[in-house]
This record gives sequence, C-alpha cells and structure tokens, in this order.
Amino acid sequence: MESMSQNDYIIKQEDIILITGANGYVGSKVVITLLEYGFTKLRCLVRTDKNIGNLHQIASNSKAQVEFFLGNLLSREDCEHAVKNVSVIYHLAAGVEKSFAGCFLNSVVTTRNLLDAAIKQPTLKRFVNISSIAVYTNEKIPRGGILDESCPVDTKFVERGEAYTFGKAKQDELVLEYAYKNNLSYVIVRLSVVFGPGKVKISDRIGTDTFGMFLHLGLGNTIPLTYIDNCAEAIVLAGLRQNIDGHVFNIIDDNLPTSRQFLSQYKKQVKNITSIPVPYWLWYLFNYLWENYSKWSEGQLPPVYNRRSCEAYWKRIRYSNKKAKELLGWQPRVSMNDALEFFFQYMKSAKENK
Amino acid sequence: MTKVGIIGCGKMADQHAIQIQRIHDTLIVGVCDNEPLMARQMAERFNVEKHFSNVQEMLDTVKPDVVHITTPPPSHYPLAKTCLEAGRHVYVEKPFTLYGFEAEKLIALATQRGLKITAGHNAQFTHAMVRMRELINNGYLGGNPIHIESHYCYDFGDASYARALLGNSNHWVRQLPGSLLQNIISHGVSKIAEFLTGDNPMVIAYGFTSTFLKSIGENNIIDEVRVIIRDENNTTAYFTFSSQIKPVPHQLRLYGPKNSIIVDDDHEILIKVNDKEYKSYLRYFIPPFQYAKQYIGNFSGNFKKFLKRDFHLPNDAGLKTLITSFYDSITNNTPLPLSYREILLTSKIMDEIFKQIKK
Repeated sequence: MESMSQNDYIIKQEDIILITGANGYVGSKVVITLLEYGFTKLRCLVRTDKNIGNLHQIASNSKAQVEFFLGNLLSREDCEHAVKNVSVIYHLAAGVEKSFAGCFLNSVVTTRNLLDAAIKQPTLKRFVNISSIAVYTNEKIPRGGILDESCPVDTKFVERGEAYTFGKAKQDELVLEYAYKNNLSYVIVRLSVVFGPGKVKISDRIGTDTFGMFLHLGLGNTIPLTYIDNCAEAIVLAGLRQNIDGHVFNIIDDNLPTSRQFLSQYKKQVKNITSIPVPYWLWYLFNYLWENYSKWSEGQLPPVYNRRSCEAYWKRIRYSNKKAKELLGWQPRVSMNDALEFFFQYMKSAKENK
Repeated sequence: MTKVGIIGCGKMADQHAIQIQRIHDTLIVGVCDNEPLMARQMAERFNVEKHFSNVQEMLDTVKPDVVHITTPPPSHYPLAKTCLEAGRHVYVEKPFTLYGFEAEKLIALATQRGLKITAGHNAQFTHAMVRMRELINNGYLGGNPIHIESHYCYDFGDASYARALLGNSNHWVRQLPGSLLQNIISHGVSKIAEFLTGDNPMVIAYGFTSTFLKSIGENNIIDEVRVIIRDENNTTAYFTFSSQIKPVPHQLRLYGPKNSIIVDDDHEILIKVNDKEYKSYLRYFIPPFQYAKQYIGNFSGNFKKFLKRDFHLPNDAGLKTLITSFYDSITNNTPLPLSYREILLTSKIMDEIFKQIKK
C-alpha cells in the first residue's frame, strides 16, 4: 500500500467519502482499501443489507466512522441524503440485468439522480465513475494492436446484444454531459475482468460451457484481468490523485496470462475439465451465421451471438495500463502469479464445499 | 397503417415493441415515460421518431390509433381512461387493473365510445394454448369443461425481478393490493375464467408465506396460494400458485364430458386424454404407447414450426398473436382475442382471492 501523504491527494483523511454499491464484489473491497489508506469517514450506500455483515465487522474493528446508508439511487431523496457534505463519490452501483431498459434504469437514471444531487454539494471535489473496458469497440484495431484509453467507445450495443455494456456506456456519456454543463470534476475508471476470491466463474473471454461442453475460445489471446485488490486500489487512487480530472483510466494488471495459460493452470489446480479449442475464424463464422439466422427468423433465436461482440471479446489484441500507472501512480500490488494462485485456491475450495 | 403509441418504457415495453415491429403495416409513432431518459433510450433503440414524458402531449402530437400501456399496475386505470377518452384503442398490460370495479369502468367506457380494449394475457396464446383452443372449437371435450386445473407457478431462484423485489422493501409490486400475486396470477386465473359460464363464481382461497421466504426473513409476501372455484352452472376449478414447486409448472388441465386435455406450457406439449378403455391388460399396454406417440407428435410439430421460423419463445409468440388479433379486431372488426367477460371474470376472481388471503 502507498504511504499516505496529505499533499498527494485532493482530500483530507477526515473528509467524507461516499461509496455507492458498497456491498458489491468490488465496492466492498474499495471500502476496505479506503480504510487501509486511513480515511476515517466513509458513507456506504447500499440497496439492501445483504452482504454487509463482513463490512460491518471490518468497520467496527477500525477507528473510522463507517455509515451504512440503506437507500435506492432511483430515489432523489435518498441521493440528496447520501451526498450530503461528501468530498469524493465512488460510484460503483450499476444495473446488472438482462434487459436493456432495466440496465439503463439502474445505471443511467440512478446516475442522473446521483449527479443532480452531487452538483449541488459545494464540498464535492471529484466524482469517480466506474465503467468497463467492454464499452470500447476494437473494430478498427488490427489483430495484435493495442486497446487503450484513446480507443473509441462503441455505439452499437443493441447489435451486440449487451444490455449491461449499453447501460455503462450511456452512464459514461451522462457523466461527460454533466461535466460539460455543470463543471463537474470527474474521473472515469474502466475495469477489465475483475477476478479473485469470492468469484467462481471463468470469464467468457476464455470460453463458455453454454452448449454443454467447455468451448475454449480465448486460445492464445491475452486475457485482460485485474485482481480484486489491485483493482480496488486503482479505483481508490482515481478519487484521490491530483491533476487527473477529466481523465479515463483502463485498469488492467501486469503480466497478463494467455487464455491457454489460464485454462491450463485451472485444469491443474481446480478441475480437470475437457475443453474443445475453437479457432477465432470458426467462432466468428458461427457468430456470423447465428446473427443472420436471428435476423432472418425475426428473433426466433435471440442475437446473443454476433460479429460485433465476437470481435469485442475474442479478437486477439493487447492491452495497455500505462496511463493508470503514470497518472495514478498505481502498481498492481499482487503479482499475477500470486493472484492466479489465490483465485484457483478459492475456486478449488468453493467447488469442494459445494 | 396502424399507428401505435407506448406508455411506460421499461422491460415490458421492449417486449411489446419487438413484437409490434414484427407486425406488417404497423408503426410505433411515439413512446412515453414520465422519466424522460427512459423514453429517450427506448426511442433511440427502436428508431421511434418521437418520445414524450407527458401522455396527453403524445396523444395530441402523434395521434396513435392504439396505445399500449406497459407501466406499473397502479397507473393502468387512469392511463387507460385518459387514452379511451382521447379516442384511442387500448392494450393494457397485465394485471388489467388493480380492482374489478376499475376493469368494469374501463370496459364500459370503451364500449360507450365504440373503442376496443384488451388485457395483456399473452399466456393465453402460446403455441400449445392456440392448439388447445382449436381442439375445443372442434368439439373434442364434448361440451364445456366439467372441471379445470390451472397451475401457474413462479421461481424466485434466478429471476432478477424476484431479486429486486425481495431486496427492496419499497418495490412497487409490494404496494399492490395483491402484492406479488397481483403481478403474476392473472395469467393462470384467465385460463380458468375463459371456461366459466356463470358471472358470479364462488371462490375459496387460502394463502400463506412459504417456509423458504420465512427462512430468509420475508414474512410479508404470500407466495403460496390454493383456490377452489365453482360457478353457477357447476363448472369447477382449482388454481395453484406456488414459488416452491420444482420444476415450476405452468399447466392447464381441462376435464370435459367426453375427453380431457392437458396443456404443458413449459414445454409446449398438448396431450389429448381420450375416453377409450381397453379390455383387461391391454389398458396397460396400448395407452402408454399412444401417449408416447402423442409426445413424439408434439416434438415433430414444435420442430417443424421452428424450421419454418414460426416457433418463437412461448411468451413472445403469445404476445405477437394477441397483439395481431387485437389489431385485426380494430381494423377488420373481427371478434376481440379476449372477451370482455373473460377479462372481467379474471379481475373479479383476483379481487376475491386477495380479499380472502388478506384475512
């Protein structure tokens, strides 16, 4: 962990920090990291009291005042209460639903309510908006090219059939609109695939078992991963560092494994599954056929497989974390080797206990 | 060209828009939501020219022929009334209204104005239900059903809707007079109402909170309901709603004076139960073979429809059939897909169920 220096950060340790979605997988780690950094006044906005037992315990063991505010971002009144006197807002709450309307409601309308309340707060110094690297399009990136913060954001999420990413992209747009119209200080943090203990799913970028067998789709692709502890620290720094207002950061760890390496370690350490390697061209062809059948049949099969999402997730590209390292001063604390070890140990014990 | 407006731009509206856009000679001319962002996102995704946050403004500006109301149930009645008063035909999502008396008023208003109105009971028009109705119209049951059994159950396990409901004590579903039940059971009740011949059925309802919900600290939602119904002409019915039965059944059994029918809506299977007895041991050998043949027939029928790209998921298929029939009835003055009597009886039975289980 970095040593705390008051001069490096835009707020003081006793300033109030709001974390929305504080009981989520990433949100709870952000709270813990802020406590480790020595911040003493945290306000955790949670929609339900589910999963806050552990946080309660950690909070009670620290000297900090951790307030759990049970509220809903769809309520403007709750938003007004939540942002009162805050200096930094870490906005992690998001809509994770199957429908576009549901994701939009719980990502964009909620963010609008929060922003409307936030811009009235004279104490607010920064709004940290959490997004995803899935919002980019890599259509124009050649195979083997680099995806970084300068890449364009996709505009065709309906064609991609991705409600969650649609919500996230629209949420980012809204933050930019508020920054422009209301002079809001903001930072956008786009997370790669967050992994670590507490999660048991293998990323779809590696493969899928939808068809009753594990199709290995990633093969030699580099998988954009970020370990939960590293990711939480990057988010925390995005709310604290000076001179980074208006920047976007992609959060990806160092020494990324290829899909093949990841799966091989998984098989050795967790479970020896049978996987069928599927080359990119074949998967792309499958997506092309599915997409066209979906159109021809007027959605008899929904357009869940399509060329745009195939490119976004399985085209072989590389990822850069240079900007996050340079401007945030962030370094992944947990090495990739250790991170994978911790993750696989957790998965193994989770499977044994099932 | 049928011009359509949609009020309420949530999840349900998406399903309507997708099916409306599949119907020939139909155009969505405006969408409306009291949250302007919701209206805008829907208009953008479905290429709808105009979006509104005021209903009257939408009605006056784009002048739709039909309005679909896909808002939460408490607003169904006032919105449908506004649309009817503005001279528009109306499709109201289920539950039609919160109370039976509201349903009566809407239907009376539509009739008085020479307009048409229907309820979102799309589960009445799934592939298997459409086949069932064909059989009945051909006299297969041998008369009106003697007894009906409708199982319309629900799974809390994987639905995001349920998670939102259980996690949010202010969720709008909890505020409904019938809570969770009000938003779901109309599908199962309407399947019974279709075949009741009297106007004032007797209803005996018993409801309770499942052990599962109690175990997670939820004591206010009734998620287990058993109902007995008998109309003036002695047609009887059992209705079952459960959140705990696995696999979650959506089934209808019609027992006729001559033959019976089983509709399994989870697998789009329709089984004819013929009144034919075989002598001695043959009754144990021939009927199983005949049932097996029927199951294979269901497979081949479903698969043939799939190959002809005519086997969309049951609820989507039902929605398209219902909307198409409703538009036909407006344009060509054909009979309504759901009779007003069925809509009113469904509301009346639901009122009675909620009244009794609240006790």
